Amino acid sequence: MMFFLRAMALAAVLISGSGVFAGSITGKVTYEGKVPTFKPIDTSGDPHCAAHAGDNPPVIEVLVLGEGQSMANIVVKVIKGLPEGKTWPAPTEAAVMTQKGCQYSPHVTALQLGQKLKVLNPDGILHNVNCQPKLNKAVNKARPKNMKELVFDFDKAEAPFRFKCDVHPWMMAYCTVIAHPFFDVTEKDGIFTIDGLEPGEYVIEAWQERLGKQTATVTVTADKAGEANFTFTRPSRKK
Amino acid sequence: MSFYPFSYFPTLASEHGATIDQLTVAIFSFITIVFIGWLVFFAYTLFRFRSGKSPKAQARNPRGRWVYGLAAGILVAELFIHYGLGAGVGASQLSAISPTADTLQVRVVAQQFAWNIHYPGADGIFGRTAPEFYNDQSNPVGIDPDDELGKDDIVTFKQLYLPVNKPVRIELTSKDVIHSFFLPEFRIKQDVIPGMEIPVTFVPTMTTEAFRKLKGSETRDFEIACAQLCGVTHYSMKGTVRVLEKGAFNAWLIEKAPTESDDDDDFWADDDF
Amino acid sequence: MKPSTGNSGALGKIAHFFFSTDHKVVAIQYVVSALIMLFVGFLFMLLMRWQLAYPFQSLPLIGGWFPEDHPTMPGGVITANFYNQLGAMHGTIMIFLAVVPLAVGGFGTYLVPLMLGATGLAFPRLSKLGYWCYLSGTLILLGSFFLPGGAANSGWTAYPPLSVIENAGQTTWLIGVAFVYFSSLVLSINILTTIVQLRCKGLGFMRLPFFVWSQLVTSVLLLLAFPPLVAAAVMQLLDRVLGSSFFLPSGLVVSGEALDVSGGGSALLWQHLFWFLAHPEVYVLLLPAFGVVAEVIAANTRKPLFGYKGMVYSSIFLGIMSMLVWAHHMFLTGMGITLSEFFQITTIIISLPAVIVATSLVVSLWGGSIRFSVPMLYALAFLPMFGIGGLTGLPLAMSATNIMLHDTYYVIGHFHYVVAPGILFALFAGIYHWYPKVTGRKMNDRLGRWHFWPTLICMNGIFSHQILQGFAGVSRRLYDGGESYAHGMEAFGLNSGATWAAFGLLLVQAFFIVNFFYSLKWGEKVDRNPWKATSLEWAAPSPPLPEVNFETPPAAYRDAMTYSEPGAEKDYSPQWEPSS
Repeated sequence: MMFFLRAMALAAVLISGSGVFAGSITGKVTYEGKVPTFKPIDTSGDPHCAAHAGDNPPVIEVLVLGEGQSMANIVVKVIKGLPEGKTWPAPTEAAVMTQKGCQYSPHVTALQLGQKLKVLNPDGILHNVNCQPKLNKAVNKARPKNMKELVFDFDKAEAPFRFKCDVHPWMMAYCTVIAHPFFDVTEKDGIFTIDGLEPGEYVIEAWQERLGKQTATVTVTADKAGEANFTFTRPSRKK
Repeated sequence: MSFYPFSYFPTLASEHGATIDQLTVAIFSFITIVFIGWLVFFAYTLFRFRSGKSPKAQARNPRGRWVYGLAAGILVAELFIHYGLGAGVGASQLSAISPTADTLQVRVVAQQFAWNIHYPGADGIFGRTAPEFYNDQSNPVGIDPDDELGKDDIVTFKQLYLPVNKPVRIELTSKDVIHSFFLPEFRIKQDVIPGMEIPVTFVPTMTTEAFRKLKGSETRDFEIACAQLCGVTHYSMKGTVRVLEKGAFNAWLIEKAPTESDDDDDFWADDDF
Repeated sequence: MKPSTGNSGALGKIAHFFFSTDHKVVAIQYVVSALIMLFVGFLFMLLMRWQLAYPFQSLPLIGGWFPEDHPTMPGGVITANFYNQLGAMHGTIMIFLAVVPLAVGGFGTYLVPLMLGATGLAFPRLSKLGYWCYLSGTLILLGSFFLPGGAANSGWTAYPPLSVIENAGQTTWLIGVAFVYFSSLVLSINILTTIVQLRCKGLGFMRLPFFVWSQLVTSVLLLLAFPPLVAAAVMQLLDRVLGSSFFLPSGLVVSGEALDVSGGGSALLWQHLFWFLAHPEVYVLLLPAFGVVAEVIAANTRKPLFGYKGMVYSSIFLGIMSMLVWAHHMFLTGMGITLSEFFQITTIIISLPAVIVATSLVVSLWGGSIRFSVPMLYALAFLPMFGIGGLTGLPLAMSATNIMLHDTYYVIGHFHYVVAPGILFALFAGIYHWYPKVTGRKMNDRLGRWHFWPTLICMNGIFSHQILQGFAGVSRRLYDGGESYAHGMEAFGLNSGATWAAFGLLLVQAFFIVNFFYSLKWGEKVDRNPWKATSLEWAAPSPPLPEVNFETPPAAYRDAMTYSEPGAEKDYSPQWEPSS
């Protein structure tokens, strides 16, 4: 559903090319270079995982690509150009992360400061939620089988940090807390859209967990959406 | 529920375990006899010298060098049990057994809250390992990707496969805190201490198949338990041990051996954050 | 000398109570605080026992009070983290805040000067300082539950690296415990000096009541064993707070993140320092219990102790040996064969003096005229209970059988047999025995018996189940009672037996609590020597005079326990009465 809406939005922007969707920034993130193959994760040590994962066994998600090497799990956010001192109300609806089939999903979550994060355990098997922020308070909550929902509240904006489950060490997700609502996380199509911006010049940043950050300067005018595309390449092998 | 204490022993599945069990039974028989004898004396004394029956106490205590004799006797009995029956299977002794050509070598790297099992692979030699290579997703025991000896190493998660009737020497170490590697059926317990590699050697004598038949359960497994408080999820730090016939074990090794097609690109596994 | 009564008025009395340096007032403060802590530690245990028997089920009765988003007990279910906190604090409270303060701070401070015929301790102000330190430590440790992240959760043994990387409560724990250690240190210096310096005329060392000897050896143990532990606590504090690495080896990776420490330390160093204290600590608990039981048995058999000198020398030997056995807690830490052999031998040797003392107490019954008073019941029950505790220690002392039993419920059952129905029973015996001395009134006999028998049964109900679970290989400190594991499932049902025995134990303590307060006001009034005993504390009025204890300084004319002397007109010959 999200994907569909997003594609529609992008299509609308591209087709009309006019001010209908003014005040937004959009673009696509792609990967260039050799695509690695990852070893499958051996989950056989916990038979519950296999039982609940079904057709979607946990995989290594350090690099997730779509058609034409578009990149998923990229956090794109505005880092410069927003009016000073202004605050935006946080969504009342909590963001959701699940621990289904011994894999965190989604792999990357971005929250607006003040928004809650719910971590669900639909399988009802034992996990813990080990949240390892640097600025916010670190929390390591064991989650007995009967506890299906844990709620996290963060009080500081923070660059992406890890969520782990120490019962299943391969389980890993990232979460970032952003002070304003002008951000997006890409899905497999690699497309991001940031809406609701006043006309002006903005610096946006794209973050990938392994490949780091890139920035771009974008101008948004009243009648034209800003556009920025990012391309990540992996550095040459260090020796 | 039974009140015969020895009926609670876990199934015995290792060679040295028999000595431990016998010794436990011997010590318990000894202390039970001592205690019952003592209790009879105690009860008789209370009964005989209750104030109703014995209104006036004796001024003098009985001559009692025998008390010291009794204490010395118990000491000698303890020493006898210790040296006569219990020699050779203490934790230190199991650690001190040197490997022979026949010994299977395995490393176990504990972490909060998992057991990572590391086999040397076809060459029989472990690849170099170091903490900087730890990656929870792709390299849990931290094998140096540039070490040729490590290319054929096998790593499993919480599952220890062993051949039956063959000595196995397990080197234990930990990434983070102190754990304790406890195999109840094999009568093995050894603290796993970060910064130390502590070996333990034993011979499994029962296959998982035989164990399942004995227990009448298709899913029953020998277990690895953590016996030292290691953090919030300590209670569920469970692994399994599968003991296979020699042929089946070798087949398992071949099945698990890493294939050439696996990516040798260490960039994505690098864990700098 | 006129005893000072402090200011008049309620406020004055309270102020007097808090600032008095009279050894009796300090001792009562110790006893009351320690009994409260004993109860708190007991309640912690009940919470844990519920979770062990009925994992993940809401607590009975009070479970409904806790909302679903309660941080430590959501919906009345104890979380794993809170369980670990309860476990760590149960051990800490019971040992450092309850039993030692009761046995040494309470009984020692109160009785030693009286038994010596002295007017007080050698350093009255020091004893007050010790109590204040103990109280501060107690408040700090209890307060740590209200910190974000809660109290310490790495066990009362606080093994690093876990204790160094765990929550902030551990820092508070170290500070609180350091206060308590310091108070014990001060206390031991005080008691030691008092015994050496303040014996009344005629009271030679070999005329001392055995209780005083037990306190003497205990004090020496405290004096020698605590400094290394205080040092270790400071080192762990530095590791936690200032980033040193005394106990952290290099290359630690916690949850996928390299730990930012210099490394190069040793995790085992802590264990050596800790057990160097904590093993003698066992004898710090045990010796005063021996002392109490010896006094109660002598008074209630109407005859002298059997082998007094043997018991004294054995206690001294026990004290010395107890400093040489610490690493038998560490057989599984990968120590070499020679080292483990050494500690096995010393551990086997230490059973010699322990057997001598315990057997002497039993043989003391022979030929007596045994009065089954309430204190005597407790003292008698101590003997078999301590016997079980001591004997079940044997398989743990041998490194072969230790492999299976180490860190299982067997260990829990073993040391609880020593401490709970053993040492605590001795202390109960002491409370019933000396209550008349402290208050001038006897505790109610019937309530005492109602307290004794069910307590004995329930205690055994708890710990015998644990011994059996240990045989099944059920590990200790498992939050779900071992439910995760298939091995030991045969023994899982034993959990509920132990739990219900523990709840029963809670109920019958009501008899003690009621008795304790009821007798303060309505207990039978007694004169100075209701048990017709012989040691010097019974020469003082009940209660002893403030500040000075005795109307006239007493002198000792004979051994402490002279009963049923041939030719004497009564069956006891008090120490303070000159021979005719």
